[in-house]
Amino acid sequence: MTLELVPVKETGPAAPAPPGSRRRALRRVLRNPLAALGLVIVVVALLAAALANLVTPFPYDRTDFSAALQPPSPAHWFGTDELGRDQFSRVIFGLRASVEVGVMSVALSLVVGVPLGLLAGFYGWLDPVVSRLTDTLLAFPFLVLAVGLAAIVGPSLTIATIAIAAAQIPAVVRVTRSETLHLREMDYVAAAIADGASDAVLLGRHILPNAVNALIVQATVAVPAAIIGESVLSFLGLGVRPPTPSLGIMLASAQPLFRDGPWLVVFPGVAIVLLTLAMNLVGDGLRDALDPREVRR
Amino acid sequence: MSKLLTVDSLTVRFSTEDGTVLAVDGASFAVAEREVLALVGESGCGKSVTALALTGLLPGTAAVSGSVHMGGQNLRGLPEARLRAIRGRDIAYVFQEPMTSLNPVLTVGRQIGEVLRRHQRLSGAAAKRRAAELLELVGIPLPVRRLSEYPHQLSGGMRQRVMIAMAVACRPRLLVADEPTTALDVTVQAGVLDVLRTLRAEIGTAILLITHDLGVVADIADRVVVMYAGRTIEEAHAEALFARPSHPYTRGLLDAVPNPARHLDGGLREIPGRVPQLSDSPDACTFADRCARADTTCRTRRPSLDPGPAGHPVRCWHPLPVPAAVTTA
Repeated sequence: MTLELVPVKETGPAAPAPPGSRRRALRRVLRNPLAALGLVIVVVALLAAALANLVTPFPYDRTDFSAALQPPSPAHWFGTDELGRDQFSRVIFGLRASVEVGVMSVALSLVVGVPLGLLAGFYGWLDPVVSRLTDTLLAFPFLVLAVGLAAIVGPSLTIATIAIAAAQIPAVVRVTRSETLHLREMDYVAAAIADGASDAVLLGRHILPNAVNALIVQATVAVPAAIIGESVLSFLGLGVRPPTPSLGIMLASAQPLFRDGPWLVVFPGVAIVLLTLAMNLVGDGLRDALDPREVRR
Repeated sequence: MSKLLTVDSLTVRFSTEDGTVLAVDGASFAVAEREVLALVGESGCGKSVTALALTGLLPGTAAVSGSVHMGGQNLRGLPEARLRAIRGRDIAYVFQEPMTSLNPVLTVGRQIGEVLRRHQRLSGAAAKRRAAELLELVGIPLPVRRLSEYPHQLSGGMRQRVMIAMAVACRPRLLVADEPTTALDVTVQAGVLDVLRTLRAEIGTAILLITHDLGVVADIADRVVVMYAGRTIEEAHAEALFARPSHPYTRGLLDAVPNPARHLDGGLREIPGRVPQLSDSPDACTFADRCARADTTCRTRRPSLDPGPAGHPVRCWHPLPVPAAVTTA
């Protein structure tokens, strides 16, 4: 008995170079108007922060007492503070500090949290240990931790970053762990085991890459939270040291001047709100676009 | 033909919340070099568990005894690291679910390349060239272009071919194919079986084919081992088994295959009842409760696997007589 080799049907008309599923996800994000708006704001803010030296009309620490406490004007778009410093320049530089802390602390929480989550999800016997550790961290008030660290080492941007990262590690561990628990049961993991893959290969090549979508979403939600955290710590004097501006410090130092110069509160405040709102919008859009339960179009 | 793999008294028990479950009960069989051996039986007969037990792929809840010899060593009792080196290199697996058995975020080329890198230390261009050859071998058109595609761009039949290409990447001596065609439609099935045939011819791999589809068995198998409730109950060359089944269960399986000629008188016959889930190995024939020929002996004494009236081993107190028409043939 002979069997003809069945001609295998091509999948669709000659597809162009393989569009990664992530690229399609990005296109879906951009189709969502709110997420697209968020993305534009985030990109503009990131560019402004990165090119702060080029886009600001004045150095952030140049004082000019002849122009102290000026309301917004063509010369000083966001007005000036009690020392005559240009608020527009300070908001842009403040943005830089906020974004730095936000991104660095989230990166740090990922570096610590992802391996812990992978191990906890993959090795059942490690799970209780890691989970109780993260519970402990979660139960520890973030501000108490930050104040304690600052009291021991002295306040600095680094300490603020570490404290914020520590506050975010539990969430990262949990997301990674639950993804790992789910992914390790996948058929392709079983197939890889049957092909002789080691645990390191299973975790690094099969489980982690498939967990990345969930982690991207987690990170886009975590960055704005970290930025707010930085503002809080700087407001309390535990983060950036003056005269370096950060959005939080600007709010803190504007507090007594609120009646004489409301613009001193409005612009940094609006900057924080806009940036975190935009990042949350992008995060929501990404979540929708990367959600595996959504039917692929 | 020399023996490639010998399984002796393989027993697997699972401890579950409802007590132990006996999944494989002293299974013994051997696979010869370049042979296609089919392991058949209903769902729940212990076929897949047997296959996974060969290289220690069962979860920790399984208690395994017996021996699995290959190339002069007992695979049971080897440390995990040694087994890992054997999996994919000497004994490779193809599973039932092609739609979910490929990693969605890695290209086909990367996934095949990974196996080559692991067992043969090929990398870069060499691995890519070899991966393209493998895709060609399993009958995938435009292999070089397929290498850079993701699993979701391939059809089910293509994915199963990719799985097979991965499995044979290191020229394994034994390919364990666990229901490789069950999830595919019939024309694609035929193509996949053809690929398996090609592989045997071109790289000389033996195939342990696990299936409940007797059409597949007739198509490709040299020999057949029938399993029931964890025991091997009949073992024969494929033609002999189809022509002269000795065990009533085997007869029942054959009768349950749809056959237009037989449907005219009486319709499709099925085996009453279902496979029992055993917690211990009874001193009885495990098929007795579903068997029309069963008597007291069947219910009180364990049959052994001995040569039956048709000349091949059968585990039955009352094996079926050889049909007269066939004896003269």
